[in-house]
Amino acid sequence: MTAKLVKTEAVVEGRTEVRWTLVEEDDTPEFEDGAATRPIGEPTPRITARARTTGSARFTVDIALPGLLEAAVLRSPHANARVTSLDLDAARAVPGVRCVLGPGEGPEHDDSPLSDTPAFAGAAIAAVAADSADAADAAIAALAPEYEVLGFVSTLDEAFEKQDFLVDPTEHERGDPDAALAAAEVTVEATYTAPAQLHNSLEPHAAVADWREDGLTVWSSTQAIYDARATVAEAFGLDPERVRIICEFMGGGFGSKFGVGPQGILAAELSRRTQRPVRLVNSRREENVAAGFRTPAKMEYTIGASKDGRLQAVEASAVMGMGTGGWAFPVLEPVKSVYACPNLRLMVAPVRQNLGPSVAFRAPGVMEGTFGFEQALDELAEKIGIDPLELRRLNHSESDPEDGKPYTSKRLLECYDRAAELAGWEGRDALRGEGRIRRGMGAAGQYWWGGGGPPAYAEVRVGKAARPAVTVGLQDLGTGTMTACAVIASERLGIPVDSITVYAGDTSRMGHGPFSGGSMTLASIAPAVRSAAHHVRTEILGLASEMFEIAASDLTLEDGEVRSVDGTLREPITEVTGKLGNAWISGSGSRGPNPAGMNVNTFGCQIAQVAVDTGTGAVTVERVVAVHDIGRVVNPMGARSQVMGGILQGLGFALMEERVVDPTTGTVVNAGLEDYKVPTIADLPEVICEFVGEPDPHLKLGLKGLGEPPVIPTPGAIGNALAHALGVRLREAPYTPRRVLEALGA
Amino acid sequence: MQVRLTINGQPHELDVAPHRSLADVLRTDLAMTGTKVACGEGTCGTCTVLLDGRAVLSCLTLASACDGAELATVEGSTPLLERLRAAFTAHDGFQCGFCTPGQLMSAVALLERTPQPSRAEIRTAMAGNLCRCGAYEGIEQAVAAAAEAG
Repeated sequence: MTAKLVKTEAVVEGRTEVRWTLVEEDDTPEFEDGAATRPIGEPTPRITARARTTGSARFTVDIALPGLLEAAVLRSPHANARVTSLDLDAARAVPGVRCVLGPGEGPEHDDSPLSDTPAFAGAAIAAVAADSADAADAAIAALAPEYEVLGFVSTLDEAFEKQDFLVDPTEHERGDPDAALAAAEVTVEATYTAPAQLHNSLEPHAAVADWREDGLTVWSSTQAIYDARATVAEAFGLDPERVRIICEFMGGGFGSKFGVGPQGILAAELSRRTQRPVRLVNSRREENVAAGFRTPAKMEYTIGASKDGRLQAVEASAVMGMGTGGWAFPVLEPVKSVYACPNLRLMVAPVRQNLGPSVAFRAPGVMEGTFGFEQALDELAEKIGIDPLELRRLNHSESDPEDGKPYTSKRLLECYDRAAELAGWEGRDALRGEGRIRRGMGAAGQYWWGGGGPPAYAEVRVGKAARPAVTVGLQDLGTGTMTACAVIASERLGIPVDSITVYAGDTSRMGHGPFSGGSMTLASIAPAVRSAAHHVRTEILGLASEMFEIAASDLTLEDGEVRSVDGTLREPITEVTGKLGNAWISGSGSRGPNPAGMNVNTFGCQIAQVAVDTGTGAVTVERVVAVHDIGRVVNPMGARSQVMGGILQGLGFALMEERVVDPTTGTVVNAGLEDYKVPTIADLPEVICEFVGEPDPHLKLGLKGLGEPPVIPTPGAIGNALAHALGVRLREAPYTPRRVLEALGA
Repeated sequence: MQVRLTINGQPHELDVAPHRSLADVLRTDLAMTGTKVACGEGTCGTCTVLLDGRAVLSCLTLASACDGAELATVEGSTPLLERLRAAFTAHDGFQCGFCTPGQLMSAVALLERTPQPSRAEIRTAMAGNLCRCGAYEGIEQAVAAAAEAG
């Protein structure tokens, strides 16, 4: 196999990255039109189901090694403070305590995660490792910290007034927005406010570190084992090859678990000092004050249009509450990239607050930006007196409105049409009713990236029993990537999915794989897996050809058998592989670049139907129709589950989820799940889900990602449905009973 | 203090400090890590186990108060639990699977009490078990299917 280095571009959550990548020549044939692809496209239960339903699946929090120490962290109760006294010696004197790290202590080559000037309530000050969790807690108590409490900033408005930016504000212009707005026949001005949504992955952020003479192993609940490895190696001055990151099973992440986090760094430092394995697991409350959040945002839109609904200009600004960390998530991307609009001015101000660091949360920026802009568009539709979906069709853009590039595929118009048909959109006004219960229907569109790209490598091995092993350098945070890899390999090998094992979540196994994020994982790895499986297929057919004296081109692999195309030969594949003894046939594959000069994006449309009790203000989402354009669907069962998950997190954002900060103390008052509400099974709406699923003609395997797309349009669609039901527009989420009643003037 | 427990049919004798939770004792002393803890304060249902047939939150239950009790956890194997496993698999009643042990035990408690529940009864019985991946549709269908198969 010849390999070469190629320069590739990949778009990661809106940021373009140029990388040099090692790519092998790929001779895997494309699918032929109409040819069987099974089991690709057939519903396939998760290959990890047995482990997950028997309790044998090992998550990071389950890892217990001989001599394991439990770690704990002292966190500031104040929004901004200076530690004036800390009794490290008292903590060290607690029986069972093995190590205490004070402010500033940490790895040699990186900033310490511990500080004596904690800038938010929940900031880490000190860490301990002890023989038991009880001893660790006792040591934390013995630290007896004293503080000088300092002033703080918590609200978006205060932070913006101070002009204290965490990331430089940006401005982006297209055309002449001032002139176009002045000339516009119709204008709409609207301000939308999005809440800080907390991830609440049920498995907390966690790490177990085991520092040994010959290297460091860290079990980490991470969405990115290779990024985790790079961070740890750099922090401790180790060669990356001496660091092993393991993430066998992962209990959700939703964007909050890239790298090893402070848990991994602290556990490794404590293990280095004690020469014992150390486990550090966040409590739920630590999760919700220190492990990140979706940035709250205040978004102001001024939209100018012709009286028949063509967008002429949009001026939009967003203030994003970053807390003490994060990057400027693309909150105005939906304004820039979804519709044809010749004139724009976009301003983003990411402000600093005395709150924990923001981190990516499933479609960061884009979901909250879609929530605002898709509702502002409905306000325009209402003002003009045009069907909201018709307004969207009218402003459709066949190519990228920003850079003019064509898309590899864009079936957004089909998504609108199909969603409208499934939802009964034409009859929506008849739903509304006049009594206490009002109903409404609202739509929102969706735009995201998700094309994936290199680097991604896979290896497939088949031994004597013809039970293939697929090895990929990635991690499965619960999305079903491992199952999808088995499906992809099964198609080439003609061996059923339930005979295939997928090894992932371990940097020592091999190959560099993608992180789990940006809806890129499967689109990145699948072509590599297929290529690796194809190489194995070719070898098996070659051996079979010799054994059965039939040309390899006249043989195929299907249902665990070697078959001749004329039907005369049907032998189990084990007839061939059985001769291998303890050897195996192996093949490797890598992901090539996407086509140059084209943009890869996913699109979709959701229509929500809500019922509002005007007496109590309670909103029920009765039904969501979701139609997305994601190219080829590998596993319809897993895909539907992704859509369900996205819709439920979007429903939570729209109706109940909001981090509440006490403005007088700057502390989070609802850091527990008693007060921070997430959807339960009682909130489950009926969901109709379809994919306008022709494979993308320009992409390997024709597939695009699905992790983010389904969460993006849900809150906007619910907001539009609520306005349709009530005839009153609510511009601040979540739409709690209190806000609904206030809007109704009750 | 000395505590005698029967867990999934097996007798155990343990010496536990009086303040320790059942979840902690299962996970730490017995290395039965199938039972997960997601909040540790009784708000998410993840740590649900059956105590004398009743679904309880093991993070809020003191192990020392369980002397003589019969305990069932996700590591067990009964015809009903196997049926539920198969149904959760067939209906994709999970994504990451971290909440699954608790979901399964709540479902066992429901179906032992109400072998043929209505959809509303399923929702009521399962409403205390959070699933952040949003697999509720699969969970509801799986519980209904397991009831039907029973």
